[in-house]
Order: sequence, then structure tokens, then C-alpha cells
Amino acid sequence: MENSSAKRLCFARTNEKSNNSHYPNKHHHQIGHKHGEGSAIDYYAYASKIRGWNPSFKVVFSVLTLLLCIVLNNPLVSLAVIVSMAYLTVIKGGLPLRAYLSVLLIPITFIILGTVAIGIDFSSQPIGPFNFSLGSGYLYTSVAKLKEMVFLMLKVFGAISAMFMMTLSTPSSEIIEVLRKAHVPKLIIELMNLIYRYIFILLDVFNTMRNSADSRQGYCDFKTSCVTFGSVASNMLVLSLKKANAYYTAMEARGYEGELLFLEDEKPFQINQVIYPVGFIFFLLLLWYITK
Amino acid sequence: MNTHLNTREKRFIAVVAAIALVFGFTPVASAMHIMEGYLPVGFSIAWGVICIPFLIAGYLSIKKNLKENPKTITLLAMAGAYVFVLSSLKIPSVTGSCSHMTGTGLGAILFGPAPMSILGIIVLLFQSTLLAHGGLTTLGANTFSMAIAGPFAAYGIYKLGLKLKINKRVAVFLAAALGDFFTYLVTSIQLAMAYPSESGGVAASAVKFLAVFAPTQVPLAIIEGILTVVIIIGLETYAQPELSDLGYLTGGVK
Repeated sequence: MENSSAKRLCFARTNEKSNNSHYPNKHHHQIGHKHGEGSAIDYYAYASKIRGWNPSFKVVFSVLTLLLCIVLNNPLVSLAVIVSMAYLTVIKGGLPLRAYLSVLLIPITFIILGTVAIGIDFSSQPIGPFNFSLGSGYLYTSVAKLKEMVFLMLKVFGAISAMFMMTLSTPSSEIIEVLRKAHVPKLIIELMNLIYRYIFILLDVFNTMRNSADSRQGYCDFKTSCVTFGSVASNMLVLSLKKANAYYTAMEARGYEGELLFLEDEKPFQINQVIYPVGFIFFLLLLWYITK
Repeated sequence: MNTHLNTREKRFIAVVAAIALVFGFTPVASAMHIMEGYLPVGFSIAWGVICIPFLIAGYLSIKKNLKENPKTITLLAMAGAYVFVLSSLKIPSVTGSCSHMTGTGLGAILFGPAPMSILGIIVLLFQSTLLAHGGLTTLGANTFSMAIAGPFAAYGIYKLGLKLKINKRVAVFLAAALGDFFTYLVTSIQLAMAYPSESGGVAASAVKFLAVFAPTQVPLAIIEGILTVVIIIGLETYAQPELSDLGYLTGGVK
């Protein structure tokens, strides 16, 4: 039901894109890493209440915040970014908190492993207040290093939440449109538009194949699943090549001459949507300047 | 149902069980995308700049292809979408731990390494916006490791394997597995350069990152190799004409 409303909103632009939230989510037991999340982000973007904001403005604001978060490299700035972006996405955008958290937690493994590797060092002599003997060498860390770890985590989460503010409120087709306005080469825009549409077509193909293999015990054990995965993947390639030919013929029949043109919603700037973000950016700079 | 197993089958099951045990402990592992915000600004820009010549080469190769045969556009787009979907799929494992293929090895073998740089950067952009893997500021670094270094390594190993006349399937396995492994190596070095160790510098830090990611990445590389072989076998069985079309159009395998 929700999905159909999202579809209705976007049918003018993405007529070929299929029902994306049908991508079944079989493994609920894992926190923070659910598959089909990709189409979920796309779905949230269409359902967001701040989707009506001007997309160029959202992209610029999100990238600017993201850059400030990284350049200023200040834990307080990171915290301010995390809180305000969560406010924009969850309260203004109307995304359920649980959904937001589950999207935020997708990269958690990388963050934990990556920061642990930075925080913990090894050496042949025991250095630092906390060390752990490994026979031939020592693993050690210090308060300063642990602090660096926590600050880095904050920075990464700040940067991620700034990016998610954009991706969870701006459908990819609008982001591509912004890139086109920014004079990214036409060929790349063309490929992006096509790839974006084909992703959902192939996901549909994959789901059908997976279901039919599953109902025939194709995933009953590890060896069978490997064989099934391989045959599904190779069949998917064969089908996608066939579809590629058919789509080109269809496009040519409709007068395709190397550029896809889409009808675009007019989403004008609203002045009060600009005042707050500009104020916010000055606030971040001020915060950084005071706590430098 | 016949439950008696011969020795070969038993041995096979033992090996599979051992592999399963290893994978069972594998935590959630996506391909090694460097997360948004993880690299300092200087490194983000530097890696982006390093990618530019490869991207231009890829762009020109695609443009030339399109001029000769405009139909290639849908084919290339399908290739990109295929790599994206492949990399978003959960690959089989016994315990339900999640990992993904990178798909770059297969992509390089099928489509050739040159167009992979452009397709790769687009796929990585969609992975960061649609899947939350990777990010915008780390796009340059990720493009270098996954869309340039990995595919070129995989393609080189594949061609070398064919030249040395080793079994084609072994060559495909080595190309995909080592291509994946090379990506992991490059990513670790990228991380180490951004965050060198206090006592040992970049080299020590690289060893740390390699060690930390090894439990997720080494099994992943091996399983990616196996799956790529299974996919290629499937393609050779069912899609010989399409494969030769693909080689003809994009300079990949013939």
C-alpha cells in the first residue's frame, strides 16, 4: 500500500522501475545489515516528506556539511552534524527512527574494524599505558589513541549522516539531474540514467529466478547454493544481454538519438529553506572556531 | 533416499564443512568500501586525481565503441547494472553470515578492464547512495581500488593464465580471487597511508589493516573465485553466442 503511493509519486519519471520494496528481506536476525536495503533507501527517498525541497539545494547542502565535517575535524562539529541531520531526516523527512538507525548501522563493521586498527598498535617494546604481551611483541594503546578512535567514529558518523540526509530524501534520478546541471559529461549521465533503471529490472529478474530456484530446493545446502547462485547469475547475464538489445530497439523506435530526456518537476527554492542551512553552516564554523 | 556416501563424497563434505566453519565465523563483510568520512581531505583528493587518467581512458574507449556501434550503450548500461546487482547479492554461506561479491573480476573478464573504470565509478556512486556502501569523499579511493586496480589485476592474471595455457577455469578462479585479494591489499595500503602507525609508519599500519580485515576478505576472495568459475561455466554452456558478441563489442573475452 505504501509502496503504491511511492510509485504513484514517481511514475512520471521512472516508468520502467519496478516494485522495489518487494525485494524480500529474509534475514532479520542481523542488526544493521539487511539486504535489499538498497532498494529500501530508494523507497525512503521517494516517501520522504522533504522530497519536495529543491534537489540541487539538498545536494549542495549535504555535500557542504559533509566536507565541513571532514575538513574541520572537530568532535563537537561532528556531534552537531549528527544531531541536526538526524533531525532533518527523521523529524522533517518523516522517516521512522528504526529505519534510520538500521541504515546508519550498515557500515558499522567497517567502522569498528577500521578504527580498532587505528587505535591499537604493536611494537617490540611495551610502550604506552595499556599494553598486552603477544610473546614476541606487544599490542598497545593509550588514552590519546582511544580518544582519536572515538573522534574518528564521530566524524565518520557525522559524514555518513550528512550524506544520508541527501540520499534518504532525494531519489537517484533527481541526483543525476543535479549532476547533469553540474556539467558532468553527457555520456556518463546517459549511462547513469540507464544503469539506475536497469538495476531494478535486474533485481526483479533475480527475485523471480531466486524464488523459482528456492521452491525447487536450490538452496538446500552449501554446495547446491553455490551452484544455484552461479547458474542464476549466469542466466541473469544472458537475460540482461537480451533485454539490452530489446531496449535499444525500443528506444530507437521512439527516436532515441543519444540523449534521454525526462520530464522534471519544478521544485523552486524557498527562501526560509535557505536561511536555516546557511545559518547552520555558520554555526558549525563558529563552533569550530570557538573550540579550536 | 540413498544415504550412503562414497569416500569421495565424504571427503567433499568434510572440505565443505571445514570451509563452512571458516565462513561461519566471518562477520558481516561487504566488499571493502572505505566509508564516507574515513579519509582526510588531502587523501580523498589525491586518490581522485590518480583516478582521472584511467577514467579518461575509459571514457574515450567507451566513446569510440559507441561511435562504431551505438547499440553498445544499452549493453554497457546493462553491464553496469549487472555488476551492481551482483555486488548487492548475498552470496551463499552456511550460517547466514552476509557477504557480497565484488563482481569486478567477472566484469573485467567479460567486459575488459578499460570500460570498467567508468562503469565502476558509476556503480560505486550508486552503491553509496542506494546501498550505503562507500561514500562520496572516498569515491576516488574506492574507484582506484575496486574499479581500476582490481579489474586490471584480474584481467592481467586471466590473460597471463591463458598465455601460459593453464586450464581456463583455473585461470578464471585465479583472476577473480587474486583480483579481489589485490583490491583488499590496495585498500589496506590506502588506509595505512592515511593513518600510519606511530611506531612503525605506513608499513606497520598496512600490516594492521591487512590483519584486521583478513578474516572477512580472504574467505571472500576464495568464494568469489569459486562463484566466478561457476558463473563462467554457466555462460559457456548456455550463452556462447552472447559471449562472443560481448567480446566483439567491448574488447573482453572472445
